[in-house]
Order: sequence, then structure tokens, then C-alpha cells
Amino acid sequence: MTSLSLSRRTFLAGTAAVGLAGGLVPFQPRSALAAADPTRGGVLRYATLGLDTADPHRHTGSIAVQQIYAEALTSIGDDGAAAPFLAESFAVSPDGKTYTFTLREGVTFHNGDVMGADDVVANIIRVKDKVKGGWLASAMKLVETVTAQDARTVVIAMHEPYAPLVNLMSELWILSPKSPGWDDTITTPIGTGPFTFGTWQPKVKLTAPASPAYWRGGMPYLSAIEADLRDGADRQLALRAGEIDIASVPADIAKQLAKDPNLRVSQLKDAGWYFVAFNNRKPRPPFNDVRVRQALAYAIDKAAFINFASAGTGVVSNQMVGPGNLYFDDALFKADPHAKADLGKAKALLKEAGVDPSKETIEFVSWQESYPQVVVQMVRKLGFNVNHVALDDIGTQKRLGQYDWDMNCMSSGPRADIFLRYVRLMSDGPNPVLWGGIQDSAFDALVKKAVAETDLATRRQHYLDAWKMVMDNYYVVALGMDADQIVIRKGVEGYEPGFTWSPNRVDGGVAQTWLAGRS
Amino acid sequence: MSLALPSEVGGAVRRGLSPRTVIAALVLAAIIALALAAPLITPFDPLDQDLLALNQPPGAEHWLGTDHMGRDVFSRLVMGARTTLVVGFGGALVAFILGAGLGLVALSFGRAAETAMFALIDLVRAMPDVLLALLLIVALGAGAQPVMIALGIAFAPFFAYVARATFHREAVKDYVTAARLFGGGRLHVLRLHIAPNLVGGLITQAAILLPRCVVTESVLSFLGLGSSPDQPTWGRMVADASHYIETSPHAILAPVLAIVALTLSLSMIGDAVRRRLDPLRAADEAAL
Repeated sequence: MTSLSLSRRTFLAGTAAVGLAGGLVPFQPRSALAAADPTRGGVLRYATLGLDTADPHRHTGSIAVQQIYAEALTSIGDDGAAAPFLAESFAVSPDGKTYTFTLREGVTFHNGDVMGADDVVANIIRVKDKVKGGWLASAMKLVETVTAQDARTVVIAMHEPYAPLVNLMSELWILSPKSPGWDDTITTPIGTGPFTFGTWQPKVKLTAPASPAYWRGGMPYLSAIEADLRDGADRQLALRAGEIDIASVPADIAKQLAKDPNLRVSQLKDAGWYFVAFNNRKPRPPFNDVRVRQALAYAIDKAAFINFASAGTGVVSNQMVGPGNLYFDDALFKADPHAKADLGKAKALLKEAGVDPSKETIEFVSWQESYPQVVVQMVRKLGFNVNHVALDDIGTQKRLGQYDWDMNCMSSGPRADIFLRYVRLMSDGPNPVLWGGIQDSAFDALVKKAVAETDLATRRQHYLDAWKMVMDNYYVVALGMDADQIVIRKGVEGYEPGFTWSPNRVDGGVAQTWLAGRS
Repeated sequence: MSLALPSEVGGAVRRGLSPRTVIAALVLAAIIALALAAPLITPFDPLDQDLLALNQPPGAEHWLGTDHMGRDVFSRLVMGARTTLVVGFGGALVAFILGAGLGLVALSFGRAAETAMFALIDLVRAMPDVLLALLLIVALGAGAQPVMIALGIAFAPFFAYVARATFHREAVKDYVTAARLFGGGRLHVLRLHIAPNLVGGLITQAAILLPRCVVTESVLSFLGLGSSPDQPTWGRMVADASHYIETSPHAILAPVLAIVALTLSLSMIGDAVRRRLDPLRAADEAAL
């Protein structure tokens, strides 16, 4: 095994294939240390994303609730790097194929059982054998063996190097195999988190009481968390009235709330991205013509769009990541032909393609947000008729999955690894509907090459080549980046949003949060 | 056969329209006129966004200001009146046809058909209007037509009940018995003898239900279940502007006041129609 100390850039790039050994991370609560005496007790009311399933292994998409009761071997820190969490250290062999995790001592599940290597192996095998699709599907396909070398050592041997594994392990939740429903769908997850699963009312709320035997000494300070799981609830008034303590809100609302002396606004440390995608799986004429897609891209004023969508806090981009990220390519950004809208070019392309836009209706699907309407109006200016259908999350996914639409405008949140952005564009990627279900074996091959590449610069290039393929074929058109806004009520101490949506992580989150003046 | 009305009722009927009914009729006429003339009088395309002029207060350029997407509120209000009126009135019409039509046909085919049909109608009526309309829209899909159909199905039972009550009242009268004795078939008697006597009650019911249809359409649009999200409807305008109520109250005030004005005027006119077409009931109310 080789140990290297890596820069933040390298960490952000993904860790495994360069031969990394994760060091010990002391668990010292930042703000709590600063505060002389954190108040104990109180219920934190938290409202960001929903909770689709009680089975953590089956959850896909952005995950923002289950981390409070389920933890993983690694955790994505504030800098985007994977750090040891339930593992006290990890190491990767120089060939990038063998991953060794040394488990932390004294970690117990909520049922009192000590977490051992056998439990971790059982979880990995469950995800490998029982979970179809999902973030970890492609990783699990490459797992050759998973073994418990001793009570505290787990070794994963891969068929080939797999760079994102350590980052992805931050979302392979370690649960007690005694969790009810383990053999099929877990109904009551028994995790190791600072709070227990408690009472779940789907689409309404999750009440999670504190775990009295949490492995991080003295934590959590709160007596419980109440997660609001309602879709589309207006959180603005609830925040002002003191009925919610932490909530995600749209950027323009955050701007208004920032004026309230009882509230402060913060952001996730990684940015989400906005994009337009075409139906790539079953495109119908004339939207299967790349010139028509190009014309539609020329109709979009990216700067105006991102300024509206982010209330002035975002940046224009033509990639899945923004400036500052290792995988962002400045030259590619500067050469963006769609940096400015050009209706003249758009119309010329339509003419060349023999398309009369007034005779065409674009079936346009989106969530019930305002920002897709900006794109709709922009493409209408080309003369197209647009049938805009705006649905809730489940309705949108269902409609997109029918592939009977032409165009959409969506956004996607921060991810634990760059691969998790690319995997959604792969032919067998998890939940690919937002990106129009791309089926391109050449693209898949490039991403697979990137994943297996041990040299960071080469890996980056493979990813960029894959992205250029997406751009050239107009599968997806990236519009810009924006960090999600989190509003925190005065009196909530020790909480700052992290790199991803996770509310419980190695260097922050709800375990070390406390409520001043409330118990 | 004639029916002598009490003298005070006859007076009420003979009296002209009350001032409030006249005002209501003028308000309704103004809204309909604005809706009809909308393309001619809107200063901006209601879909046009000025992303540099979001939530602008009322002024010389934008009479009622702009909304959160920089769209002209006046233009959207006037164009939105079309959708609200068409869907509201359309929903009431569908309810009329379904409720009265199916109810009467079932009634004319005897006790078994009546029991079966009204069991179904009771089932529909057991669901709250908005919830039923929501479920129907899920099944039918979003858009103006599905909303109209959903409103029609949700409100059809009201017409069916009125049709049944009036039918049973009329069916035992001598002129119906006479028509049957002369060999009139069920549908013949229904069409030529009973139906004309049902019209008053049904029109009264329509006048009462119209404002409810308008409000329900606005609620459905508010919930995002109406037509395309950028198409102006009053309910959607309220929903869109509700997030900015503190900083830009003008954007929500305009559609709210419009909904109030329309529903109030429809209610007052409905009341007047009811008094005119159902003088006995009006007299009872006057006596109270």
C-alpha cells in the first residue's frame, strides 16, 4: 500500500486510483468546541429534500435526510474529499484494484450491537446482489470479492481500477443486518447515525430521536430532529415564524429572507447545474436532427437564464461543473458557441434543416419551477409552439420515462464524485430520464476508461472527451451553475451546509448542532 | 291550470332589477368585455418576460406592474380572464349536461335505473369537489379541457338532484298523467311535457354553481393543475405571486380582486335569477 498526501484539487478529483491512504480524523465538533457549553436538548426542525424509501440502500437521487440515522465508511467533507468516517482509515493498492478499510472501534448500531467487519461485508453484498440500479450499480459490478480480514478490516477487490469507489462508499450505508426487511426492503433501518429512524410519515415528516449511544462522544446535542418531507411546501413563512430551523429555499426567496435579522443564509459548498436535455432515447423528427437541437441551443440566453434561476448568485457554464472544479475546462468554456443567444444563427440552422418551427410543437417537460418557463419563452421566440407540462417530482420522472417528449429544462444537485454526474448519462446509468436516456456506447466507453484510469490528468481528459461528445451531439446543453441556498434560523449553533446535501458528515452537521435558548 | 302567487311575491317579480344586481351585471359585463377584447387592449404579450424588470410596481409602462418573471400583470390579468371564464363557464355547462341529462334519462326509465344512476351520483357527491377534480385531472391529464371535464363531473350531482326533485314533483301532476294516458312514451313525456318545467330550477342551480366553478378553477390553477404553467389564469397568478406577497403585493392583489369581483357578481346575479325563476322560494325567504 502506498500513502500519499494529496492536495485539495486531487481530493476533489476522486481519490482511489492514485493510491491514497485516508488518515485518522479526530472528531472534534467545530462550533461546539468554540462554544463553551453547548445546550443539550431541543428538537431541530429541518426541511430540505424528501425521503423516498425507508431502505437506505435503495435510495437514488440527492439524499439529504437518511444520513441522520445511516452512516457510511467514508464521508464527503466540506472540501469535497472523501474522508474516513465509520472506517478510521482506508488504503488503496497502487494498481487501484484493492481497497482496505479499517473500521473504527466502538461504533454501535442503534440496537446496541457493535459494528464489525462482517456487518460491513453483509451490507456491501446486499447492495451488490439485491439492489438493481442506483449510484453504486456500476461499482458493484466490478467487485470481485469482499472479505472480512479480521473483526475490523474489510477488503474489497475489484476486477479493474475504479477511481470513484472511495467517494461512492460515502453513500453505501452501513446498517445492521438485523434491520427489519433486510432480505427484501428494509422498513426500519438500524444504523449508526446520531439519530435513530424514529417515526416516518411518507411525504409528511420523519421524527428521529437522538441515539443515546452514538459513537462520537457526547454527541448529538439535540434530543431529536423533525424532518419536514412535504413537497412544494412554502417554507418562507414557516422560517419567519420560527416553525422551521433549517430549510432549503429558492435563491430569490433566500435573498428576501437574508433581510430578516432572525435568519441567515448559507449555501451548499458544491454547486448544482442547470441544463436542457433532449429526448435521446426515442427522439422524433425534427428533434432528432442535431441542427434543430443546435438551433434551440442558440435561442437560449444562458446569462439571462442563470441570472434569473439563481437570483444573481450563479455562473454561466457549458459543462456539468463550474470554474474552480478540477474537471472544468476553461478552454472549452471560452469556446462555447452558445455563450450568447443568436437567433439569426438559430433560424438559419432551422432553414438548413428544412424545419418550419410554426408547424412544430415541442413537448416540453419540467418540474413546477419558474426557471423552465424562461427557456420555454426563449425557444418560442424561434417560432416553435410549445406544450409545456410542469409536474411534481414523481410525475416528472414518470413522464420523462415514457420518452414521449422532446425537450426539458432541469437541474441536478451536488454529487459525492464527478462520476456520479457522468453515470446518469450512460446507457445503463441510474435514473437517466432527466438527461433523455442517452444511448451511446462510445460515450460509455470513454467514461469507463476514465473510471479505470489511475493517472489523474488522463482520467480528467477522458471525462472531458466524453463531455465533448455530449456537447457535439447536443444530448444535453449545460446552462450554468448555482449553489443551493440554505436558510438557518438564529439560535441554531454549530450547523453549516456541507459539500453535498448530507446533514451529517465527518466535519460538521446535525451531530454537533445545538439550539441556543431552546431545550 | 294556474298558480296564484301571493301579492308580495308578484310584486317582487314585477319589480325591476335591484341596484346591486345591476352593479353585478355591469361588473360581469365589463369582465366579459375585457376578456373578449383582450388581444386588442393588452399592451404586452402576456407571455413576454422582461428578466431585467422583475416584480416592478405599477407605473406608466406597466399599469399593474410586473410579476416575478417580468411579465405585465395587466396583460396577464385580462388574458387570464378568458381562461377563467371559459373553464368556469365550460365546467358549469358540462355539469349541467351530465347532471341534468343523465339524471333525467335515468329517471324516465323507472325505479331501477334511477336507483343505479343516483347511487353512482351519490358516490361522486361523497367526494369533496376539489379532491374529486384533482383525482380526475390526474386521470385525464393537465390542461384546460380536462379541468372543464373534471369540474363538470364534480358538480354534475347538483344538477342531477335538482332534476330529480323537480321531476318527481312534476311527474305526479295531472298534465303528465294526461300525456301518458294519451299514449306518450317515457322519453316523449320527458322531452315535451316535463323538461320545459325543469328549466327554471336548473338555470337557477347553474347560476348558483357558476361562481363555485370559477373558484374551483382558480384553486386548481393555484395548485398547478390547469393549463401550461406560463399561460395566464387568475389562480396561477395568485400562486405565482404568493411567494412575493411582502415585496410585491401588487402582483397578487390584482388577480385576487378580480376573482372576488367575478365570483361576487356571479353570486348576486345567480341570486337574482333564482328569485325571478323560483318566486315561491324567494317569497319564503322574504317572509323569514
